[in-house]
Order: sequence, then C-alpha cells, then structure tokens
Amino acid sequence: MSTPARRRLMRDFKRLQQDPPAGVSAAPTENNIMIWNAVIFGPHDTPFEDGTFKLTLEFTEEYPNKPPTVKFVSKMFHPNVYADGGICLDILQNRWSPTYDVAAILTSIQSLLDEPNPNSPANSLAAQLYQENRREYEKRVAAIVEQSWLNFQVSATID
Amino acid sequence: MSDEEMEFSDDDYDDYYGGEYDGDVDHVDPQKNDPEYFHVACLTDTEVERLLNESVEQLSNSIQVTPSLAKLLLHMYNWNQIEIVAGYRQDCHKMLTSVHIKPATPPQQMTNNQQGESEATCPVCLAPMSPDYASHLTCGHTFCKDCWSMHFEVQIKQGMSTGIECMGNSCQVLAPEDFVVPLLKRPRLKEKYQQYAFSDYVRSHPQLRFCPGPNCNIVIQAKECRAKRVTCTACKSQFCYKCGGDYHAPTDCETIRCWLTKCADDSETANYISAHTKDVNIDSFQAVGPCKTVGEYEEIAYCPKCHICIEKNGGCNHMQCFNCKHDFCWMCLGCWKTHGSEYYECSRYKENPNIAHESAHAQAREALKKYLHYYERWENHSKSLKLEEETLAKIRERIQNKVMAGTGTWIDWQYLLDAAALLARCRYTLQNTYPFAYYLESGPRKDLFEYQQAQLEAEIENLSWKIERAEMTDRGDLENQMDIVEKRRTTLLTDFLQV
Repeated sequence: MSTPARRRLMRDFKRLQQDPPAGVSAAPTENNIMIWNAVIFGPHDTPFEDGTFKLTLEFTEEYPNKPPTVKFVSKMFHPNVYADGGICLDILQNRWSPTYDVAAILTSIQSLLDEPNPNSPANSLAAQLYQENRREYEKRVAAIVEQSWLNFQVSATID
Repeated sequence: MSDEEMEFSDDDYDDYYGGEYDGDVDHVDPQKNDPEYFHVACLTDTEVERLLNESVEQLSNSIQVTPSLAKLLLHMYNWNQIEIVAGYRQDCHKMLTSVHIKPATPPQQMTNNQQGESEATCPVCLAPMSPDYASHLTCGHTFCKDCWSMHFEVQIKQGMSTGIECMGNSCQVLAPEDFVVPLLKRPRLKEKYQQYAFSDYVRSHPQLRFCPGPNCNIVIQAKECRAKRVTCTACKSQFCYKCGGDYHAPTDCETIRCWLTKCADDSETANYISAHTKDVNIDSFQAVGPCKTVGEYEEIAYCPKCHICIEKNGGCNHMQCFNCKHDFCWMCLGCWKTHGSEYYECSRYKENPNIAHESAHAQAREALKKYLHYYERWENHSKSLKLEEETLAKIRERIQNKVMAGTGTWIDWQYLLDAAALLARCRYTLQNTYPFAYYLESGPRKDLFEYQQAQLEAEIENLSWKIERAEMTDRGDLENQMDIVEKRRTTLLTDFLQV
C-alpha cells in the first residue's frame, strides 16, 4: 500500500544510497518499511571513535509531519541518552521540521555524540562525569565502544 | 449614575411612587458600598465573535492590513490595539518580525526552487512540484500544497491553530488563518481549526474568560481582571474571575492555591509521621511525596506558566508546554533555565546542617499543630455548608406545614429562605478566611483579622441557630441578625479583600 509516509521513506532510502552521508548508514527492515535499522560510526578524534552503534527508527503514517521514534540498540553512555536507548534531542521532539530526513536525523545524532547538551541530562551520571571528571567519562565511553563491536559481531553472525 | 437613576431624578413623582427605590435608603455607588461588587457580562460565542471581529475590522482599517493578519497581530499583542497601531506606524517591519509574521532575515530563494523551472522538488515529500501547486509564507520556504495540507492536519489534530508554524527547518514564521483555511481539505478540520483559534483568541484577550462550568460555552467579559465572584447566567456556576477556581474571598488566588495543594498533598502526612514517630527524617518523606501529581495520575501535571494540563508521554524530564512553549523541569516544575548545568538538583536530597534533628522533630510537631488548627476549621465549615443545604430542605418542609396549618401565608415565610441564602454566603466567606489566616504573618494586622473573624463566626452561628428555630413572631429579630452578619462580613472584606 502506498501512502505519503511510505513514498517519502522510499525516497529517503533512495537518497541515502545515491548520496550516502559520511559515518552513518541505514536501511528499512526487510518486511516493514516503517521500521529501519541504522548504524552510526563514532566520529573521529572523539572518545566514541571506532564505535559502531546500532539504532532503530520507527516511523508512523504521519511522517514526515511527525518525527520517528529513534532509539539506540547498542549500549550507550552519553549525557543525553536514556538507559533504554531513548534520545533527548530537540529535533526529535519540539524542534522537528518535516524537511528533515533519515540522513539528517542520523547525522544530528552523530554530532550529538561529541557535543552533548548537559542541560538536558537523560543520564545524570554521564552528565556529571562529562562535566566534572572527563577522564572517567572517557573511560566509560571507551568501554561501551568496545562493547559495540562485540554486540555487532554477535548480531552479525545471527543475521 | 446609571441612565435609570437619571430618569427618575427628573421626575419626582415617579421617584416617590416608582416603588423600585426605597425613599429613605441612599443610593450610593455599589462599587464603594460592596467590596465584592464586580461588573461582568456573560456573552455567547456569537456575541464574542462579533466583539472580536469589530476589533479586527478596526485594526485592519487603521493600518491597512488583511483581516487575517490583523487577527494574528491582535492575538499576539493581547488585543492591545493602541500598542499595535503605535508600533506599526513606528516600524512595521520590526513589529511583524517580533510576532513571527515576517522572518527575522529576509527570505532567500531556495536553491532547489528556481522560479519558472517546473522541475523544483518539494523538500518535504521530495516529489517534483509545479510552481502553481506550490505555496509559501513570507519566509519563502516553498512546499507543495499537499504537504502543507498534511502539515496543518497533523498540527490541528494536536490542538494547534494560531500557533502553527512554517515547515521550514527552524523557521518560526506563523501561518495566518487565510493561508491555512483554504488548504484544509475536510470541512470537519476547518471547523476544528476555527474552534481552536476561537479559544486561543479568548485566552489571549485580557477582558475575556471562558466560564469554567462543565460544558458551558459562555464567555465572561470584565473590564479588569480581578479576583472577584462571577456567576454565570447560563450554568449558574460561581467562580473567581481571576483564577477560575472556586470563589475564595478574602484569600487571594495564590494563597488559596497553596492552601488547596497543601490540603491535597502528602506534605502534612510526612509532618504527622515525623511528629508522631521517632527517628524519621521529614525531608526524606517530602522527597517521595507526590509533589507534582494531579489526582492519581502520576504522568499528569499542570504547566507552571499557563496551567494547562500536560501529560508526560516521553522519558525526557525537560518539558516544553505545547500550549505556551514554556520550558520546565518535570521533577520540580521549576523553570528549565534556572537549572543551568545543575542536573536533577530538584530531586536531590538537600541536607540542612544548621537544624539539629531534635529541633526538626519539635518544629514538625509545631507546624502540624498549626496546620491542623486551620484545616479542621476550614473542613468543619465546609461540612456545615453541606449540612445547611439539608436544613434548607427542612425549612421548605416546615414552611409547607406552617402554611397548611394556617400560620401565615407562603409569602409571609419567604424571609426564611432569604435568611438561609445569606447564611450560606456568609459561611462560605468564613470558610475562606481560614487559609488567609494560616498564611498571614503575626502582627497587629493578624490580630485585627482574627478579631473580625471571631466576630463574624459568632454572628453566623447565632443566625444559624435562629434560622433553625424561626417562628413568625421572630421575624424582626431574625432580620436584624441577618443585617448584623452581612455587616460583619462586609467589614471584614472591605478591610482585607485586596484584589
């Protein structure tokens, strides 16, 4: 069935393949175009470097007038990411614009990784360490970067 | 002086025999005589629409803009025409950008939208759009009409109307009514849009208020916003004009809100536990108390700025009110900005090293004692009010019996019903003096207040007693008592009602 949301998602997918943004990749799941899997690579020269973080994006029929629900599947340690993987990012809530597409969402999340907003803490420990004990913060991040490879391999073999 | 009085004073004969005015009572301005006097008008929605349209028409004529734009300007400037006209004549560009009718920066031609070229792409659906099927606001962000319709539909379904913004990335330009309505496809949606917009206009209008009565569509108009009693002509509900809650003189809106919250929440339970058990820390109880909840729903709170009901539907504690865009913290309901970089300061347990535990124990006991003193009286009068409603039914029955027994006619006994109504009104005021006294600081003013309160209370109980035992022969006595009670009430309100 073709709806405006589905048509737009197909076009998002086409764009991603023709003009892939650096450091992110995404594709719809095999049997449901409304649910996507994505991977964000940790940006260079940041504690997240070399991490491969998996996410899911769930769209509704109101897309692109309403943002999708985006969650980290890989374990994350970041001031603006909740324990369940939910992300506190303004463009995914009240500053959403229908002109954003999947590539824009993922690149925004990628830049959020190294530019956390300590004013909207979703993980208070991460926010506190980020501000008061950067060394410990980076140690914790390094741990989840390592974990991201493990999870990736496991799920890759299962797939 | 009203027109009616003018008419009478012209003709002495009419004045004397007119019958409406009692010859030996001076007719003074009710505003000075009655501290509760408040002039309001109850309007239906057509009357309100006419009132609003008059303002819109006036403004649109005086500054030569479309009615739709004039409406938006009036809404954003709280219907202050003088300010708008002055501001518009001084610098119309600045005025239009300040309310997001025009963009702050001049519109730029979008790169993918070359005029005249038919292969432009709509940035929302990413499909090609022909120029005659595309439209934009003053900011120049062009989208196809289907995407605009869809955007408006989603926004209206979320209850938005006057606040619908352009779809452009971080563009805050507002879509005026004459842009939105033609793009709405379903008539039901148009209706909804108009309905929400109407509510927005009434809310932004300083002289208008919706009647808070259930399913009541009346709008109350008053010249000034004061915490006075309003009785809706349609649904008969009585409320305070300023806060929309139950009328609460002599207490002010802020104090009664504190009081009702205090009565409803668990803070006093914590005090009770603290005062009556050992080794318990009060603060730890207050921290877990449902300070933000409304009723039983943990996920609902009121916006601290516009008081609209908000449901928390996500994990983030940084809330933004969908209605007034106020940013606040879910945990403490404080302004989000004041949080700065202090995360969850509001829920963190704060230790006060100055107060030793022993004194906290004693303090809790004292605070509880004080609260209970006022609460018991408040609650007691509330119960008395209910009981006296039952008395009213008994009075009716008694009147019936007396009339049947030939003791006076039905008309002779009507004074008793007036007395019961007066009693209810006075007791209501008395009930509301308790929160006022609770928050009043000690001093001569409080002494005076409590003296007057005691006087009022004594006379009210006298009146109540007399009503229950009224006989025909007592009528003079009872009416005297009614006069005393009402005078006491008026004196107290004149001295302490500061709204």
